[in-house]
Amino acid sequence: MLDLDLELQQGSFILRGRLTLDQPVSGLFGPSGCGKSTLLRAIAGLAHPQAGHIHLDGVPLFDAQKRIDLPPHRRRVGLVFQDSQLFPHLSVEHNLHYGFKLLTPAQRQFTLARIIDLLDIGHLLRRRPRHLSGGERQRVALGRTLLASPRLLLLDEPLASLDEGLKQQILPFLRRVRDELHLPMLYISHAINEILYLTPHLAVMEGGRILGQGPFLEVIRQDHILGLARSLGLENVLQVTVDRHDPGIGCTTVQYNHHELHLPLSSLPPGSVTWIALRATDVALARHPIADITIQNQVPGRLLDLRRIADRVLAEVDVGAPILAEITVKAANDLCLAEGDTVYCLFKARAWQYLGAP
Amino acid sequence: MWPSLQLTPEELTALWLSLKIGLWCTALIAAPGIATGWLLARVRFPGKAIVDGLVHLPLVLPPVVPGYLLLLLLGRQGPVGRWLYEMWGITLAFTWQGAVIASALMAFPLMVRAVRLAVTLVEPRLEEAARTLGAGPLRVWLTVTIPLSLPGILTGLVLAFARSLGEFGATVTFVGNVAGETRTLPLAIYTYTQIPGGDGSALRLVIISILLALAALWVSELGARRAERVLGK
Repeated sequence: MLDLDLELQQGSFILRGRLTLDQPVSGLFGPSGCGKSTLLRAIAGLAHPQAGHIHLDGVPLFDAQKRIDLPPHRRRVGLVFQDSQLFPHLSVEHNLHYGFKLLTPAQRQFTLARIIDLLDIGHLLRRRPRHLSGGERQRVALGRTLLASPRLLLLDEPLASLDEGLKQQILPFLRRVRDELHLPMLYISHAINEILYLTPHLAVMEGGRILGQGPFLEVIRQDHILGLARSLGLENVLQVTVDRHDPGIGCTTVQYNHHELHLPLSSLPPGSVTWIALRATDVALARHPIADITIQNQVPGRLLDLRRIADRVLAEVDVGAPILAEITVKAANDLCLAEGDTVYCLFKARAWQYLGAP
Repeated sequence: MWPSLQLTPEELTALWLSLKIGLWCTALIAAPGIATGWLLARVRFPGKAIVDGLVHLPLVLPPVVPGYLLLLLLGRQGPVGRWLYEMWGITLAFTWQGAVIASALMAFPLMVRAVRLAVTLVEPRLEEAARTLGAGPLRVWLTVTIPLSLPGILTGLVLAFARSLGEFGATVTFVGNVAGETRTLPLAIYTYTQIPGGDGSALRLVIISILLALAALWVSELGARRAERVLGK
């Protein structure tokens, strides 16, 4: 378990936060430049907070009051960098050996053969890092870190420098690491779907502060995270079950609370559970169902709340889960909307984005 | 008109002396050059600007000045020179060992500059990766920083060797121009140009100097290319 409360200043940037991670795998989510990497570097011992503490399994890695600041090589905290940072002068095999051979046999949690097999890198051992593809490099970097037997595995946007196709190839390996090695992991990313692919437990950061932590749906619906959620198009997130695919009409149908929703065609297997997201500005409200319209989803619900924010109105509709619709003041007036009314939420199928499975 | 390419014993002596002094000079500054270059590239410490300036001073001073300072300091009458002689019986002034000291002083900044540049180019996050994998600072230095700086270190060594071969001003000021002891190639060439009928000898040694310089450049290029292949650049 990781428990930290720290303050770190670098130039004009101040990182301040408290975080307790008690899940086997947690995510740390936030936009670029919010301080995620700095927080990770502090945990690994590469950045030095001015105040606070970092405890791992009850052992202080850093404690300003007790003047403890373990150097990185004595923390046993593994860090996988965004751009792998393999040693260019060593072969893949020697890269894998680097941390492994510094351990006593009793300290080694995994054998070379197991990691090589798990990450499918056996055919790369004799190569130099420059002869590897981006995806292969990240797998080797992951293997190198795992073989150093860390007590906590930190992953700093390990997929950020890969293109979409490669990401899809690497993600299953990360899942295998999660499921087979039982190593505590903290995965940081500015891509929410990468985190959700591995874990529903996450902390959210913005501007050097940790805004909240917990299960995804709870965190994302907290009021003070709404601003961030809005900027990322995550105001509305539903957990749905995939029902069927109709490739002929380019449509996937999912079940949500006895409603059927029509979404863009996906490749998720029928029966699987996934999260989908929709911007509040992509939701329209109507008094009655509307015929002859291209909008594919019309879901009835009860209007819970109308909030005027500057020049717009944020309407919260209960359709089994709260849905936020952002409309103009004029639109709210024209329909004479009032709390308690029954309204139909209109969602274009193609406005939904898939976030990933819980 | 062309002179015979056969070297006289006297010319051969100058050649071997130059090579001997060059190799000793290179060996002498290798370790401190690497340490200083790394220090200036990676470590912040008080008085760094002063150290930086002192190291580079021989590069910008007329070579006679460091030579004269060496003579004042290490000559028989100098404070350090007298101590060396009385305690250990060591004489540096007007000996080939003194010539090694003089050319080492002149070559040191070149070595330091090459190493500093090479260390600066080593990605600091590679060193951080090594730290998180469990390697202490010294191990990181030996297994990551130094191997990755190797092309620069090699360039520095070749430059230092070449500088030593060409050293004139500081050497002649500190250890004079003693045949068989301190008369290296440049000093011999200069001497031959000053005596009647010395043109043939001077020309032969000029050719030798050019060949040596080319060989040094070739070795440096070869080493750099090999290092780059190993380092994967």
